[in-house]
Amino acid sequence: MKTLTLHTTVNGRACEAVIAANQTLLQLLRETLGLTGTKCGCEIGECGACTVLLDGVAVNSCLVLAPQVEGRRVTTVEGLAQGETLTPLQEAFLDHDAVHCGFCTPGMLMSATDLLDHTPSPTEPEIRRGISGNLCRCTGYTQIVAAIEEAARRRVQEP
Amino acid sequence: MKPFDYIATGTIEEACAALDAHAGRARILAGGTDLVLELRRNGELSPGTLVDISRIGSLRGIADSPEGIRIGSLTTHAELSRSEVLRRRAGFLAAAAGEIGSPQIRNRGTIGGNIMHAAACADTVPPLVALGARLTLRSMQGERVVPLEEFFPAPYRTRARENEVLTGIIFAPLPPAARTAFVKLGRRNALSIARLSVAALIERDSQGVIVDARIVPGAALPVWRRIPEAETMLCGQKASTSLFAAAGQKVAGTMVEVTGRRWSTEYKEPVLAVLVRRALELCCRDS
Repeated sequence: MKTLTLHTTVNGRACEAVIAANQTLLQLLRETLGLTGTKCGCEIGECGACTVLLDGVAVNSCLVLAPQVEGRRVTTVEGLAQGETLTPLQEAFLDHDAVHCGFCTPGMLMSATDLLDHTPSPTEPEIRRGISGNLCRCTGYTQIVAAIEEAARRRVQEP
Repeated sequence: MKPFDYIATGTIEEACAALDAHAGRARILAGGTDLVLELRRNGELSPGTLVDISRIGSLRGIADSPEGIRIGSLTTHAELSRSEVLRRRAGFLAAAAGEIGSPQIRNRGTIGGNIMHAAACADTVPPLVALGARLTLRSMQGERVVPLEEFFPAPYRTRARENEVLTGIIFAPLPPAARTAFVKLGRRNALSIARLSVAALIERDSQGVIVDARIVPGAALPVWRRIPEAETMLCGQKASTSLFAAAGQKVAGTMVEVTGRRWSTEYKEPVLAVLVRRALELCCRDS
């Protein structure tokens, strides 16, 4: 079939959509569901701007075919904050001025969320490796790494 | 991307049936990190039918069985790089998987996809060739086992039939005394395509004499193979920088003999010699 009805969970909410089989997850999020927090950058898996969590692990949504998320759990940057309450990671990004133009930020936040979920107290090299699939063209890596270090400390202190 | 028919399959049998029904005009979709890119690049070319095997749970995982270590074809690079069994008994495979792409790519890309895509730069293939791995292929006609070294007739070509699914990779675990290394040279640490890579193995006896040596370069030859010309130089000898440098020269010389002098040879010849030396030195670093 060239179109199909997709059932998936996006940011904790059950979601049903009729999609074309040749849509990517990125197109599903931005164009069908209107979740434009996830950015469309290179579309070849190099820049990481489109990073989302699929069943809790970071993936490039530009390289996932939308039908492949049937029955699975997708988390985008819109799913991090609870209402007006930001996550410790998002707070730390603000505190450390880890946002310059902001285009890479959603992807950075998702990669860092995966990292901290699986490695609660990462070393600096682990942090750099954890965001090695995300490009920041404003070259604000130092602040981003500092923010992730800070978030790790806060998360361990107040789980 | 051109429209295509999409078939989700939940079992190997369903996948085989779908491939049989659409033989010649179907592509297998697993992690998608290569295929989705390719479909977008060849915007004019419809793949006809995509058979999605990514939900077949039985194709996932690493098992240490009496017949050897068996890796399901859908096992991701992230899973390979974290595997304790692989780290202990096939260290260079875990290391190579950990060097692929980026965290996002490693979470999605599969070992089966890496093999079936058959790009000269595929990082898991050199260690698998060094391990003497065999592939299990399934179709409606049954199952067959193919040695990996005979699986690639030419770059980007495999001997898989149009209706076959790669289900697993099996190899004998290395003896505890064997030490391995994988080195790769790219333009950037993350996401780089290997310009050249080397998988190497050294096993020494209690006197420090090399009893087994295996060297498989990546992105160097039209198809992967061990370099017995260099391996035999090492066996029976003790490790030394000059010996490893000579083996490196031999591997580079073999590459030039096979490929002839091309535009990239001026670069690849000296660099491959150094990478081989480094890989062999890494194998001997602890003991």
